[in-house]
Amino acid sequence: MKDTKKIIGQGIDRIDGIMKITGKASYATDYPAKNMAYAVLFKSTIAAGKITRINTAEAEKLPGVIKIITHENAPKLNVKGGLRGGALLQGPEITFHGQHIGMVVAETFEQATAAAHLVQVKYQQDQAEKIDFEKLAKNPEMPKGKELADLVRGAGKAALVNAEVKIEQEYETPIEHHHPMEPHATVAVWEGENLILYNGSQIINGAQTAAAATLNLKPEQVRIISPYIGGGFGSKGGQWANLVLTAVAAKMTSRPVKLALTRQQMFNSVGLRQRNIQKISLGATKDGILTTLAHEIISHTAVDSEYIEPCGDCSKVMYEVPNSLISYRVVPMNIILPTYTRGPGKSTGSFALESAMDELAHQLKMDPIALRIKNEPKKDPSNGKPWSSRTTVKCLEEGAKAFGWEKRKSTPGTNFSGDDLIGYGVACGTYPARQRESSAAIKLSRKSRLVYAVVEIAASDLGTGTNTILAQTAADGLGIPVAQITIKLGDSDLPPAAGSVGSVGASSFANAVNDACNKITDELIAKSGKQFFVRPTASDLMNSENIAAFETQSTSKAPVEAEQYSAHSFNANFAEVSINKNTGMVKVTRFLAVTGAGKILNPKTARSQIIGGNIWGIGMALTEESVIDPRYGNFATRSFADYHVPANLDVGQLDAMFINEVDLIPNKMGVKGIGEVGIVGVAAAIANAVFNAIGKRIRSLPITPDKLLPS
Amino acid sequence: MTPFKFSIAENPSAAIGLLQKNNSAAFLAGGTNILDLMKEHVTNPTEIIDLGRLQLNTIKPTTSGISLGALAKNTETANHPIIRKDYPLLSKAILAGASAQIRNMASNGGNLLQRTRCSYFYDIAMPCNKRVPGSGCAAMEGFNRMHAIFGWSEKCVAVYPSDMAVALSALNASVKVMQQNGNERIIPFGDFHVLPKDHPEKDNSLNFGELITTIDLPKNNFAGHAAYVKVRDRNSYAFALVSVAAGLDLQGNTINQAQIAMGGVAHKPWRALNAEAFLKGKQATKVNFTKAAELEMSAAKPLSHNQFKIEMGKQTLINALEMALKG
Ligand SMILES: Cc1cc2nc3c(=O)[nH]c(=O)nc-3n(C[C@H](O)[C@H](O)[C@H](O)COP(=O)(O)OP(=O)(O)OC[C@H]3O[C@@H](n4cnc5c(N)ncnc54)[C@H](O)[C@@H]3O)c2cc1C
Ligand code: SF4
Repeated sequence: MKDTKKIIGQGIDRIDGIMKITGKASYATDYPAKNMAYAVLFKSTIAAGKITRINTAEAEKLPGVIKIITHENAPKLNVKGGLRGGALLQGPEITFHGQHIGMVVAETFEQATAAAHLVQVKYQQDQAEKIDFEKLAKNPEMPKGKELADLVRGAGKAALVNAEVKIEQEYETPIEHHHPMEPHATVAVWEGENLILYNGSQIINGAQTAAAATLNLKPEQVRIISPYIGGGFGSKGGQWANLVLTAVAAKMTSRPVKLALTRQQMFNSVGLRQRNIQKISLGATKDGILTTLAHEIISHTAVDSEYIEPCGDCSKVMYEVPNSLISYRVVPMNIILPTYTRGPGKSTGSFALESAMDELAHQLKMDPIALRIKNEPKKDPSNGKPWSSRTTVKCLEEGAKAFGWEKRKSTPGTNFSGDDLIGYGVACGTYPARQRESSAAIKLSRKSRLVYAVVEIAASDLGTGTNTILAQTAADGLGIPVAQITIKLGDSDLPPAAGSVGSVGASSFANAVNDACNKITDELIAKSGKQFFVRPTASDLMNSENIAAFETQSTSKAPVEAEQYSAHSFNANFAEVSINKNTGMVKVTRFLAVTGAGKILNPKTARSQIIGGNIWGIGMALTEESVIDPRYGNFATRSFADYHVPANLDVGQLDAMFINEVDLIPNKMGVKGIGEVGIVGVAAAIANAVFNAIGKRIRSLPITPDKLLPS
Repeated sequence: MTPFKFSIAENPSAAIGLLQKNNSAAFLAGGTNILDLMKEHVTNPTEIIDLGRLQLNTIKPTTSGISLGALAKNTETANHPIIRKDYPLLSKAILAGASAQIRNMASNGGNLLQRTRCSYFYDIAMPCNKRVPGSGCAAMEGFNRMHAIFGWSEKCVAVYPSDMAVALSALNASVKVMQQNGNERIIPFGDFHVLPKDHPEKDNSLNFGELITTIDLPKNNFAGHAAYVKVRDRNSYAFALVSVAAGLDLQGNTINQAQIAMGGVAHKPWRALNAEAFLKGKQATKVNFTKAAELEMSAAKPLSHNQFKIEMGKQTLINALEMALKG
């Protein structure tokens, strides 16, 4: 009997859910190894300068200590091997506060920790250290990256002088941290000249090549195993020193070694979202047609390496505007290298752009939704390409209806409920939709008329549900129930794949698996030598042709036609806030994200992705900020007691809606990606709701109670 | 953490005895604060004396009020029927603090002795007079948004973080301790925590080796008119920017006595004595509440990042008094 019902598109439960909640899913440090030793890192307490002396004598005396590794005895590594953030113990130089300067390897984690505390370090401090952002941001530099050169369209910012209505404001966003639930952790096991690294990696093959290159090994000598990951949000995209230092410790002690960063060390070991100052200048006609959009960005980066999140990206594509400027300036600082952080550039950039649009709507006395729809671009303004499809207007219109936007009071500060003021806000967002080259293998086997499939792909599942959507894809592609499918991912020995980054995962992996399913079906048809009126499934063929086992592998890429279009996911975010007028404390009572992201493979895991992005957006809007002490370069906010992620009480009712969209241009399955877009526009929607509630415009995140005091 | 010896005390005098033998030992109650401090190497006791077996975990009415065992848990205390009925202020303050999990572990005695949350105190790479006397105060010229506006000294500008203690202060509690010689000593709450002055390493007037046995509360007349308002950076699980515990003893609309304490503003729960004095005998009106709040806050001395606490303190005082009035 053939099951014609499609599994793709159904909100089935995660196939690994039970394993996770019962603790059976193995994360990096759950892998047992005989005779394991434990490494603990210790870090610099200055921001710039050099180590003049490291005294490990006291530490070495502690029981259980096997080895102390510093720049004085660490092996020479290739610092250009592709790891991010330096800190590979290659010399005495210090370029940021909290740089790894050594590690203790001991029989137990506790012994290593106690010993690390006894290491004494003397420094020569560099008086020219760059740690005061406010001062340095007055004289920013040109970025080195060519993609960040000034982008001018029409008359650029100069057109602003002629605008009938103008908004010119500065928006600030602070340093944020990824802080996935699972800290970065590695188990390194050498087998002769070959190395196995159990390590949470968003890009399995990327981790493999970077680790190999840094250790001066061939990629095939290094195997990355990472089937389950407790989140990454960009911080496990590129890999950091801790990965390779675990291998170094294992080599130097001839033992398997486990190294897990502490939560405190996570603040300055694995990148961060940089601080940005964004100036937005909008010019418009009196009836709300945009004439100028300038987005000028100042961001910090590290002194020895440049990463700048693309805050101007939304401004490139969101609105029809003849004159525009997007410019980046950078402030190199003695801080760990910033890195990709959920919705890189788009989440922070949309805070500036979409706040400014709200300010413009207010000034024009226009509804902010109407203003956006009025400036909807017919094609991608940044490159003139047609949209593969664009759902902004649908998101806005369907969202407005579902949210009850008509209940919004257009005059700020007039919607009371007891001691609380209520406000509504809206903001849009977007993220590019791309497919990246990935390969997948399918291995079929048959046991008493039941066909089983093993799907192999070096993809990663950050906890987003990749395992599940790939099982659904294979189920439909092979005609086999999900229960008879095993997904194997997270292992560099499997067919190579793209990473779970930049919202390319679902489209790249699902298309690869789907193509492999089609290929195996074609091959089975060919093998049968028969003609079929109705295309049989691979499962049918295994039975009808009495085949015990069959396998194939294929590689998939984005369709070439995709190049001629601009393909994006789009969203509209609706926030309702309630602000206690006495305390200034804000609560997001309701939040609705409406997303157009093409084919939604599993509405249940997709919803989790979107509301997860929304919750971080709430954190971005209201609570999260990391402060660097400009005298020392250390984080004054150095634990979860000071760095506030949203707690349950900060999160009200969340709803996610998806636009029913078929867009087969970006890839054959029409999958556009949702991981990043879920946070884009969220902070702006909340900040706009805060303005609507109390008439105070907060342009510097997070919106803490002190900023809302009556003045 | 530095390795330590673990000892178990069977009764209060045994606990004191163990501590007498080792002056770098420390008591362990719920462990929610001291273990964190040990992990961060802020305190490095060589011996931990577990108080878990001490029979000091009861909450019982006395002729003059109620007595809270030092080892009774915060959760039990907040949910005790008598506390909820006669001391709702205490119940509300406890429940405004930490998280359910932490309150389940935290003891009443441990809560009083929790140390400041100044992040420089926790970061052993930073100068801090409270952690290392004489090393300097990094917060004074540093990031001091969370710090004191009342009663600070050049040596230390930290605030004391407990919510529970703010209510205890407003409720005129007293702390009963067992001294090294086994005798009892009663410390009025206002004298229990101290201002930093020249010795910020001292948070309170407990002497080394003294064990808190109970916290005692007198009866009060404002169970129906009490409020605890806490302003914080997120809606739960954050320390106070400013908090106010207020109780009003009313006769009609006239204030017989107002008892008000503030949290998040000083090195100890800050009794708003000026506001209390102003309100005595006055009508309970918003105008009077505002005047009282302004009077209290006029003595505040802000630091570079916490100027906002003056306005926030004023608003929160007014708000707490209005909520207390409403009941
Ligand atoms: C993340 C986090 C958030 C928090 N948020 C809040 C908050 O918002 N508001 C708030 O008020 N609190 C908050 N707390 C603090 C919490 O209330 C305290 O940690 C707790 O009350 C301490 O009690 P304990 O029994 O665990 O003390 P322990 O950690 O066991 O002990 C603390 C100290 O008291 C000493 N001690 C304990 N009992 C006695 C005794 N009977 N006699 C003499 N000495 C004794 C110990 O030696 C130690 O020095 C938070 C804590 C954490 C970890
Ligand atoms: S305020 Fe007190 S606790 Fe904080 S650094 Fe200064 S001395 Fe230390």
